[in-house]
Amino acid sequence: MHEHMPIDKALMILALSAYVVSALALIVYFFARDAWLRNLGVPLAIAGCIAQFAQLAARYELTHVWPLLNLYGSLSLFSALAVAIYIGFAFRYRLWFIGGFVIAMAALFLAYGVTWDEGTMPAVPSLQSYWAKIHVPLVVSSYAAFMVAFIVSALYLMKYYYENALEPAAEYAVEGGSLRAQRASVRLDTPNIAAAAAAGNPVAQWINAMPTLAQLDVLIYRIVAVGLPLLTLGVITGAMWAHDAWGAYWQWDPKETAALVSWIVYAVYMHLHTRNAWRGLRSAWVSVIGFLTIMFCYFGVNIWISGLHSYKV
Amino acid sequence: MALMRSFYADFTRTFGNVLFAVCLLIAWALLTLLGVLVEQGKDAGAYFSDYAAPLARLILRLDFNNVYHAPYYVGVIGLILLSLAVCTFKRVIPARLPPLRPMRIEKIPLNASIETRRSESDARSFVEAFFGKRGWQVRKREFGGVEWTFADKHNWARRGVLVAHVGFVIIAAGTTIYWARGFSGDAAIVSGQTVRIPYTATTIRLDRFAYKIQPTMTKSGIVYQPIDYVSGVTVTGKDRVPHERTIRVNHPIDVDGTLYYQANYGFAVRLRLSHRGARRTLSDGTYAIGDSFTLPGTQRTILLEQFVPTVDRRSREPSPDPRVNDPAVALAVQDHGEAVGTALVPLRATIDVGDGWRLALQRYLMISGLQYRYDPGVPLVGVGAFVLLAGLVISFYLLPARLYIRVEGAAGRSRIGIAATTVKGYDMFEKQFADLTAELREVT
Repeated sequence: MHEHMPIDKALMILALSAYVVSALALIVYFFARDAWLRNLGVPLAIAGCIAQFAQLAARYELTHVWPLLNLYGSLSLFSALAVAIYIGFAFRYRLWFIGGFVIAMAALFLAYGVTWDEGTMPAVPSLQSYWAKIHVPLVVSSYAAFMVAFIVSALYLMKYYYENALEPAAEYAVEGGSLRAQRASVRLDTPNIAAAAAAGNPVAQWINAMPTLAQLDVLIYRIVAVGLPLLTLGVITGAMWAHDAWGAYWQWDPKETAALVSWIVYAVYMHLHTRNAWRGLRSAWVSVIGFLTIMFCYFGVNIWISGLHSYKV
Repeated sequence: MALMRSFYADFTRTFGNVLFAVCLLIAWALLTLLGVLVEQGKDAGAYFSDYAAPLARLILRLDFNNVYHAPYYVGVIGLILLSLAVCTFKRVIPARLPPLRPMRIEKIPLNASIETRRSESDARSFVEAFFGKRGWQVRKREFGGVEWTFADKHNWARRGVLVAHVGFVIIAAGTTIYWARGFSGDAAIVSGQTVRIPYTATTIRLDRFAYKIQPTMTKSGIVYQPIDYVSGVTVTGKDRVPHERTIRVNHPIDVDGTLYYQANYGFAVRLRLSHRGARRTLSDGTYAIGDSFTLPGTQRTILLEQFVPTVDRRSREPSPDPRVNDPAVALAVQDHGEAVGTALVPLRATIDVGDGWRLALQRYLMISGLQYRYDPGVPLVGVGAFVLLAGLVISFYLLPARLYIRVEGAAGRSRIGIAATTVKGYDMFEKQFADLTAELREVT
């Protein structure tokens, strides 16, 4: 007897397949800048994202259990939101070039999430709350925003260090010859990369096609500006839920404190960004560290450290 | 006096410095992370079993087992509040956009020049109307006979940082109120028993406790998922009138301002002891799992190690099923502190524990673990959290900016020079400025 695949499984496979093809197309677009690759990759990313939201809705409809209460469900939402945030920023700020990296990471997280799928289980008493429908999406969406910020930060750092690694270009030479020597981490031009690109260096050509360091810095700031208020609201709603469920809005549970660490790191980012000398390179590093703390908070605490938030399956 | 003035200057310079605040935030983050990595609030022995002895000693001596309440942790938060206060008064409140004065427009990185066929006065009126319609606050000034137009947007949003700082202070005030006036604790109540809650006039009797387990087949096998814990209690508060209430996880009850939460559950057993056939009484005969007692006249101690809800009928070993079907209690017997044996004793069975003593497990009882908490600081913490959030949103999304506009006309044509400054540098406003000037260029 042939068994039909459940609709949620079919949608998950559809989403993963769309992401894989989209990521490949957009990564090649990053290097080749052929518009057709973007025109292929972006609709596929949108299709994958829609399929994922539909998958979550179908899972809820089939099981009547809120699908975000375990690592499988929350990772599914995480990757869908990362793609959604990317698409939003891409349309607003022409961020197509990072799409391949965002969607590849989203696909990896989604695939990892699938490995945690243990089937449907009823929610434990502490998770049977309307707060689950508010707190979890807020926190996960902040994680997704920070992932996009992390990718832009990584590209910023790549461009910055590549500029420093190149020989100073004679026709663009300025005093000091490199960004570090000029003590300016935010600037509009990367003369060494531009010169190398003009001379036919293929790596320099695709790095040069990225936005300027200053534009990347502003992009990171704008994405963190989405993530930090969401994380703050997520922590606040989590505290309100904890107040109902566990008797105290703050219990110093490992998940709470790890989220606090992430919040502090992004608060440091905000503070550093108020100073010209610390914008750019240093704040990009803080964004990278911030995302590492987010990953620790998300996976480290859920998987390795036991506490009130140990909801793996 | 001079010394005091110098000290004050040094103090405000240090505590008003953003990088000093950043250092404090990093210290706070590292200490908090330490508290995540080192399990908090365990017995000293637990650290010696988890870590090498020198590391365990370090953890205990430096209070790393209780980081969040250690003086240095509270001290760092105190310093952050101090830095925040100094920054607020020294930097945030005095911060203003530059005074209205003429600028060399082409020297400002964000500048544009727009040619128009309008006369100078017409162009000036048009520009003022253009920016006024878009929510800019337009002001005119004359300097040395030259008329300048200034347009400000979201000037008030410079206070976003101040709002965020105020939110942080309100949260700190709310938590301080709890430390000063609040209390919390746990109460484990055996079915049928009544407890008095410390610091309050409240008594709670546990009428019944029930838990529901749903066996669920997963890919890794069967999982016994708890889906409900519920306590039926009779609560007597200040009004001295008993009220029947139900406490569930996520559904605490409020008695005279103190909240009572369902936290956990456990088991107790009622025992009957006899010595050489004669019944002997020890307290009321009810013992919680984990309790121990010494048989009278002996050095023999009985420890109730574990309640086993279901014993596998075939193997007579504990089953993983947490539902009570065929219960038993794992007992450990010690004599003069030395373990002499263990046994899994079914309910309603009798066991010989030596020296003529026999022990019968009569029945099991449920224990409901409740938490109670009186926290008068909660409303303040809630308000502070939302004020902090509002400050973040204002700081992030509303960019205070100023436009410097100069219109120069000659022979029926005019040139509109525009430059922009913001409190967050030029890059942040680059796109908006380009869009704005492109629109202006199009409509002029």
